[in-house]
Amino acid sequence: MRKGENGMNHKKTSRLTQQVVFVGPAILFFILIIAIPFVLGLYYSFTDWDGISGKATGVGFDNYKQIFMHDSSFRDSFWFTAKFTILGVVITNVAGFFLAYLLTKPLKTRNFLRTVFFMPNVIGGLLLGFIWQFIFVKGFSALGSATGISFFNLPWLGTENTAFWALVIVFVWQTAGYLMVIYISSLNNVPKDILEAAEIDGASRFQVLRSIIIPLIMPAATVCLFLAISWSFKMFDLNLSLTKGGPFGSTESVAMNIYNEAFSKNRYGLGTAKAIIFFVIVAVITSLQVKFTKSKEVEA
Amino acid sequence: MKRNIKLTLVMTLALSMILSACGSKEADNKGNNAESGGTAATKTIKIFQFKVEIAEALNRLKAEYESTHPGIKLDIQTVGGGADYGAALKAKFASGEEPDIFNNGGYRDLGTWFDKLEDLSDQPWVADTVDVAKEPMTKDGKIYGQPMNLEGYGFVYNKDLFAKAGITETPTTLAQLEEAAKKLQAIGVTPFANGYQELWVLGNHTINVAFAHQKDPDAFIKGLNEGTEKIPGNATFDEWTKLVDLTLKYGNKNPLTTDYNTEMTLFANGEAAMTQQGNWTQVQIDGINPDLNIGILPMPINDNAEDNDKLYVGVPNNWVVNKNSKVKPEAKEFLNWLVTSDIGKKYIAKDFKFIPAFKSIEATSEDLGDLGAEVVKYSQEGKALSWNFNKFPDGGMNEFGNQIQAYVAGKSDKNALFDGLQKAWDSLKTK
Repeated sequence: MRKGENGMNHKKTSRLTQQVVFVGPAILFFILIIAIPFVLGLYYSFTDWDGISGKATGVGFDNYKQIFMHDSSFRDSFWFTAKFTILGVVITNVAGFFLAYLLTKPLKTRNFLRTVFFMPNVIGGLLLGFIWQFIFVKGFSALGSATGISFFNLPWLGTENTAFWALVIVFVWQTAGYLMVIYISSLNNVPKDILEAAEIDGASRFQVLRSIIIPLIMPAATVCLFLAISWSFKMFDLNLSLTKGGPFGSTESVAMNIYNEAFSKNRYGLGTAKAIIFFVIVAVITSLQVKFTKSKEVEA
Repeated sequence: MKRNIKLTLVMTLALSMILSACGSKEADNKGNNAESGGTAATKTIKIFQFKVEIAEALNRLKAEYESTHPGIKLDIQTVGGGADYGAALKAKFASGEEPDIFNNGGYRDLGTWFDKLEDLSDQPWVADTVDVAKEPMTKDGKIYGQPMNLEGYGFVYNKDLFAKAGITETPTTLAQLEEAAKKLQAIGVTPFANGYQELWVLGNHTINVAFAHQKDPDAFIKGLNEGTEKIPGNATFDEWTKLVDLTLKYGNKNPLTTDYNTEMTLFANGEAAMTQQGNWTQVQIDGINPDLNIGILPMPINDNAEDNDKLYVGVPNNWVVNKNSKVKPEAKEFLNWLVTSDIGKKYIAKDFKFIPAFKSIEATSEDLGDLGAEVVKYSQEGKALSWNFNKFPDGGMNEFGNQIQAYVAGKSDKNALFDGLQKAWDSLKTK
C-alpha cells in the first residue's frame, strides 16, 4: 500500500477501477442480502411487530430489557448453546485433526476413507437430523434389545442429557469430515525437509507432532476453530430435525429460541432483538478467537 | 487487508443467521402470477394447507377440479402433522410467496392473521354452515373463514383387544378406565400408546381436557388473561393430572421419544389398546390395518360418569382467502365448489372422511368410518366438550407442551407443572 502512494496519479485511478470491478459485485450483494436485512432487523428489534400485521409500534429498549430481565428461556438456551459450542468445537477439531493425521499416512484405502468421512457434510443438516432421529429412536433400541448393551437402551432423545449428547454426536459426525479436509491440505504443506531433519535429530513421533506439525498447521487451526465455533453457535437445522428443542425445551439452541420467539410466539420484534444480541456475542467471540490463534501462527 | 477479509467473514457468517430469520416484509407479489408458465390465461391458485391426512385425496381432487375448470391450476402444498404450520406460513408470507388459500385455526389465530383475511360473509355456503362451526372465524358479525370440518378426540381404542381383555362396559370414569387398563395389561397389551414427543398432542389436546372441564372455559381463559384466575389451585387441573398419571402408569415406554407415527403404528398393530387421538386418524389406521375394530372413549378426569362421558369436538381448521391475492374470485369459487358441488361434497365425506361442518353435506357412518361415526353420535347427543387451544396465547402449544413433557419426564411435580403453566401463560399473553 505504501508504495502506491508515491506512484503516479493514473496508477491510483486504475487501482480504483480494479477495486470497483473486482470487489464491487461482492460489496453490492453484501449490502443487499446482509447489510440491509441487518439494519431492518435492528429497526424491528425496537418495535413490537408481530411479523404479520402492517403496523409496528416503536417500543424503545423494552425488548432488550425484557430479554435481560425476564427471559429465563433465552438464558437457558444460551447456556445450552455455550456448552454445546465448547464440546462441539473441541471434539470436532480433535476428531478432524486426527482423521487428517491418519489419512495423510500412506494407507491404501486413504482416498476412499477421506470420501467416507467427508460424506456426512454433503448431506444437509435437516436430512441428517431425521436420519439420526430414526437411528436413535428405532435403530438404537433395536440394537439394544438384540445385544442388551445398556448404551443402546438409553432413551436417547428422551432425556435432557442424552438428547444433548445426541446432538453433539451428530454434529461431530457431520462436521469433523469437513475440518479433516482443511487439516489434510495443511498437513500436506508441512515441508518434508523439516520433518526429515527432525527425524535425523532423533525426535520421537510425538515430538514431531507437538513441536513441528502443530505449530506449522496453526493457520488451518485458525480457520477450523472459527468455522466450528460459528457453526455450533448457530446450529439450527440439526436441532430442529433431531430434537425440535425437546424434551421439554431442554435442547433449544439460541437460534431456535429466536426462531420460536419470532415465528411461533409471533413476537418478531423481540425475536430480532435476541438475534442482535446473539450477533454481537458471536462476533466478539469469533474475533477474539481469530486474534488469539493468529498470534500462534508461525512460519516454517 | 487480510484482517479485513477475516472480519468480513466473521460478519458474513454471523449475519447469515439473522438473515435467515428476517425476510423482507415488503416482498413483491409480482412473482405469484408470472410463474404459471404455460398459456397466459392459466391462473394458479396457491393452496397452503395443514392436514397431512388428506394430502393424497386432495391431489386427486386437484386433478378433477383442473379438468372441469380449464384455465385454473391448483398448486397445493401441505405442511403439518409434526411440523409447525404457523411458522411455515409466516415464512411463506415473509418471503413473498403468499398463498391464495391457507388455513386458520380461528379465535386467536383469526386475530393474528386478521389483516390478511378476506371477508367471506357473502359466500353462498355461509347459510349452510352449522352454528358451532361459525364461531371460531367470526369477528364483529362477519365470517372470515370456511370451516374445514368438525373433529372430535378422546381415547381411540381397539374394541377387539377390549373384548379379549374381558372389558364389557366402556369406561366412562377414571376408576373404570384404570380397571380397564389393568385388564389390558394382564393380557400383555400396552394399555396406552402415548405420543408425547409431539408437542401438539400434549400442548393442545391433553391440556385442553383441563380447560374444557372448567365450568365456563371462556370465562376461565378470560380470567387467566386478566389475572383473576390461576392454574395453581384450580381443582379441575388437579384432577386432570390424575388422568395424565394414569396414561403414564399404563403407557408405552419412552413416551417422550414416541412421535405421532410411532404412536399410531403401536396402536394400529394391536400392540397398544388406546391412544389419545381423534377421528382424523381413521385414514392412517386404515392404511396400516383396515380391519381394525375401533371406537373412541371419553377421557375421564374423575369418577362422575355423567360429566365425563363426553368427547372433545371442535373445528380444527378453516380455509381462508388471502385478501391480497391476485386470484381472489377464483379462490372463492374453488372454496364454494368444494362444499356445494357434488364432487366436492363427495370428497369431503368419502375421501377426506371429514365430519361435515355444513348442513348441506351428508356423511353416512360408512363414509366416516368408525371413529367419525362415534364423534357424530356423541355430538348429536350433546355429549361434547369444547376445543380451547385456539384460544391460547400465541406459542402456547409449545410452552405448555414443554411443561407437560417435563412433568412426564419426572423433572417437575404437579405443583411445579401448575406454576410452570401459569408462568408460561402470563409471559405469552398479550398486554
